[in-house]
Amino acid sequence: MTLSALNRKLFRDLWAVRGQVIAIALVLAGGIATYVMAASTLRAMRDTQTRMYREFRFPDLFASLKRAPLSLASRVRQLPGIIEVETRTAAPANISLAGFSQPVSGLIIGLPASGPILNLLHLHAGRLPDPNADHEAIVSDGFAQAHKLNPGFRLDVTIEGRRQTLTVVGIVSTPEFTYQIAPGSLVPDFTTYCILWMNAKPLQASFRMTGAFNQIAATVSPGFPFENLFAPLDSLLRPYGGLGAHARKEQVSHRFLTEEFKQLEMMATLFPAMFLSVAAFLLNVVVGRLMTTQRSQIATLKAFGYTTSAIAWHFLKFTLLIVAIGAVIGIAGGFQMGSGMARLYKDVYRFPYLEYGLDWRVTLFAFAISALAAMTGALFAVLKASAESPAVAMQPANPGHYRRAWLEFPGLSQPSRMILRNILRRPVKCSLSLAGIALSTAILVLGGFWIDAVDFMVFAQLRRAQTEDLAVTFFGPVSSRALYSLRSIPGVTLAEPSRTVSARIRFEHRSFRTGLQGLEPSATLRRLLDDRLQPFEVPSQGLLLTGHLATMLGAKPGDLITVELLEGSRAIRTLPLTATVNEYIGISAYMRRDALNRFLRESDVTTSANLRVDPNRLDSVYSRLRCIPAIAGIAVRSQALQSFYKTLAAQMLTFAFFNTILAGTIAVGVVYNTVRIALSERSRELASLRVLGYTRGEVAYILLGELALVVFSALPLGLWLGRQFSAYFASTAQTELFRIPVVVAPGTYAFSALVILLSTLLSAFIVGRQVNHLDLVEVLKARE
Amino acid sequence: MQAVFHAHGVTKVYDMGEVQVHALRGVDIELFAGEMMVLLGPSGSGKSTLLNILGGLDRASGGHVFYRDFDLTTASDSQLTQYRRLHVGFVFQFYNLIPSLTALENVAAVTEIARDPMKPEEALDLVGLADRRHHFPSQLSGGQQQRVAIARAIAKRPTVLLCDEPTGALDSETGVLVLEAIDRVNRELGSATAVITHNADIAGMADRVVHMSNGNISHIDHNQKRKQPRELHW
Ligand SMILES: Nc1ncnc2c1ncn2[C@@H]1O[C@H](COP(=O)(O)OP(=O)(O)O)[C@@H](O)[C@H]1O
Ligand SMILES: [Mg+2]
Repeated sequence: MTLSALNRKLFRDLWAVRGQVIAIALVLAGGIATYVMAASTLRAMRDTQTRMYREFRFPDLFASLKRAPLSLASRVRQLPGIIEVETRTAAPANISLAGFSQPVSGLIIGLPASGPILNLLHLHAGRLPDPNADHEAIVSDGFAQAHKLNPGFRLDVTIEGRRQTLTVVGIVSTPEFTYQIAPGSLVPDFTTYCILWMNAKPLQASFRMTGAFNQIAATVSPGFPFENLFAPLDSLLRPYGGLGAHARKEQVSHRFLTEEFKQLEMMATLFPAMFLSVAAFLLNVVVGRLMTTQRSQIATLKAFGYTTSAIAWHFLKFTLLIVAIGAVIGIAGGFQMGSGMARLYKDVYRFPYLEYGLDWRVTLFAFAISALAAMTGALFAVLKASAESPAVAMQPANPGHYRRAWLEFPGLSQPSRMILRNILRRPVKCSLSLAGIALSTAILVLGGFWIDAVDFMVFAQLRRAQTEDLAVTFFGPVSSRALYSLRSIPGVTLAEPSRTVSARIRFEHRSFRTGLQGLEPSATLRRLLDDRLQPFEVPSQGLLLTGHLATMLGAKPGDLITVELLEGSRAIRTLPLTATVNEYIGISAYMRRDALNRFLRESDVTTSANLRVDPNRLDSVYSRLRCIPAIAGIAVRSQALQSFYKTLAAQMLTFAFFNTILAGTIAVGVVYNTVRIALSERSRELASLRVLGYTRGEVAYILLGELALVVFSALPLGLWLGRQFSAYFASTAQTELFRIPVVVAPGTYAFSALVILLSTLLSAFIVGRQVNHLDLVEVLKARE
Repeated sequence: MQAVFHAHGVTKVYDMGEVQVHALRGVDIELFAGEMMVLLGPSGSGKSTLLNILGGLDRASGGHVFYRDFDLTTASDSQLTQYRRLHVGFVFQFYNLIPSLTALENVAAVTEIARDPMKPEEALDLVGLADRRHHFPSQLSGGQQQRVAIARAIAKRPTVLLCDEPTGALDSETGVLVLEAIDRVNRELGSATAVITHNADIAGMADRVVHMSNGNISHIDHNQKRKQPRELHW
């Protein structure tokens, strides 16, 4: 089939403005790519989550306790709504493996003789332990991967001071531990934290739990309001040291995934919305311009009997082709970026499997939103132009209407005056260009902001608040005399006690379960910070909450807060909120350790210690600590810092990289289109000036001076807007786990401005070359 | 002879806000089948306005314009579009070719939507441009572009051919070529033809010369014998 004449015109018109077509298509592609990336990753993770929860029988209810006889399980099973109940023993363990000097902590879980019925395991390699083997274990895949362990490897595992050698026979993952974070740690660190499973019998024997359990999980019949189960469950478990039951909502892995989904959702909506609105604006400008240049062609076609709708359709096809190009690039690019992102996620979240694919709904929606953006951009211009009377064809194009500008200095040269008048002739178009450039500046600031914020968080948390080198956790409360023996280890220069207890904090009708930490008033390693990040002494009376927790509870200093201890004395008391603490990571409550111990009706006890260690003697300190039976876990601060950076930085830098490219695309798209259109609109005028003896440079000045004026007004606006965006994103991204501080480093502002200036220079360079090629004779001859 | 157009009391008022421009002040006119008519008058006398109304590009403010039995003044937009598509050929002063289409494709753009058109090649042959089919407008001289425009106008075998200052942008030698093409089409296809000009010399090629001034027809001359465009000088 041969193309109709009109369709040939379509392709030639497209080809004639190919630079602009590409610029717009790329901006569109940017929006579509971010959408496809975020939406398809989100969909893959959500689908996987749903599927694996079902497949691996993820429970609905969870509870931990101190120690209860196995017979208690049948009483739980009788509660209304409960379907299945599984009890198990889990113990903290210290692990050492050959060739790795740092302390590794872990959680070791007992496997029932008949195999688990809830929290099933996905075997990646090897096999499950032989039911009769006492020294076989399986490990989580993150740990195995980090240390390149294969089945057959041996680990030294110390439980309550009793050391045994276990042979790793298999590598597994499970929905329960998609997010593997050591207690008190900030991010997963697969090198120093590990989940292990071994047969229940030998585990219970070495943990002195034979015939007993300390964790219980249950499934609830669908639709049953499981909130109603908390009270009866808690009253059954309380005598056995129950820490309070919770639903999936508070399960660590589930909670982190939920937060991640929220962020992805934001990425799938806000970013594409920004890109697509810029693309719509560009289309509007370019198609609007096309309609102006083709005004007499449109009229001629109508004079010869083409219908208004045929002409409108012709120009809409023009738009749709650009959209199609953008959408195809965007979908392909977004799919690629998404699979990269899914890989990153799979490193952090240990899914048994993650099926990433291009979902047809995502694709369809991507096409729909880009077509929508295009239509909003072009429809109005097209309809207006194609509805115009065909009598226009008879008339020569009328010169544009100019007015004297309100801002005209007597000393202004004619070219400068032309620049000003031209800007003032098109105030709307000029402000839209300005807005587009400001927006891309803002997007750049936003991209840099994430990195600044993470740096600041790390600085605040690890350099100001938690300055210890090592944190040692005991199995349970121990006398603070234990600290003497820690201080006596050569290389330990300072040891400070801290007491942590699970508690429910209540204000009015809101409550939150968290760790209540008792600190020394004069602690120098673990410090509480005020809003200006200055450390302050823990007051002798009352309670302190992190600012976010106080906001969540709706409490302010001076309010009376109810604290219900979930361990030990289980006392309930109201305490005044004395101050809020500025912390960006986690949610905690604090009081003085002596006051907390009185509250607990305990003597001078502690559950963990923070140590300062001579960096040259770290290894010998590790090996001495490993021999102390009371120690359940050792966390290395520098290790935490490193792993924090490793996990977050990979994500953040990838994000920032794409962000810069995308924002640069917008900047080039807007700037290039703005100048290119100015050139085509004014080529006659500029060529006339050349005929009159203006140099190329003077002519380029008229064209690019306008651009420079727009860009330099857009920059400060964009930088300011970027900070507002950052504040907004920080507030939407704030979760129970992280609060993002609104800090933008000067370097980020400078970088953003630089990218915009470079994009401008690039566009100016391309258009400047076109100015050089202005054909004086042709331009004057041809009538527009 | 049968009248293709008959118009009575046609007025056209442009409302410019403060002032009203009376472009046509009650024109009565007829155009007959196969006739060659020249509209002559100074600039601003209303020639283009009248032609636009006859061609269905614009609407009269008052009066009636009939194409055969079809009343253009009461027709809907889509009826006017159909009317132009099937019956009218236009030639404009500034050619108005589509710059991104070749000569042949410019003609095809019209034949594709017409009923029983000639082949685009045939139309180009008629205006003597057979060898320029694949040239773009920018590669053609003004006279050649105008002849492409004529080919485009006549390719549908229009009943009426309306030309608004077809030689206005051309020198006299090139203008003659263009007028010859128009003359030939008028004779060979029998399209009723109206040619606007403000150049009295061109009037010699017409059957009838309609003089316009200030929105009115001042008088009408009948030429005993149509001159060949070759015989015209200006
Ligand atoms: N679109 C328009 N708006 C206002 N006035 C117009 C318009 N078109 C034509 N006129 C006026 O109508 C009158 C007749 O114009 P026109 O028919 O173009 O004259 P001619 O073709 O004979 O030179 C002129 O005074 C002209 O200024
Ligand atoms: Mg005229």
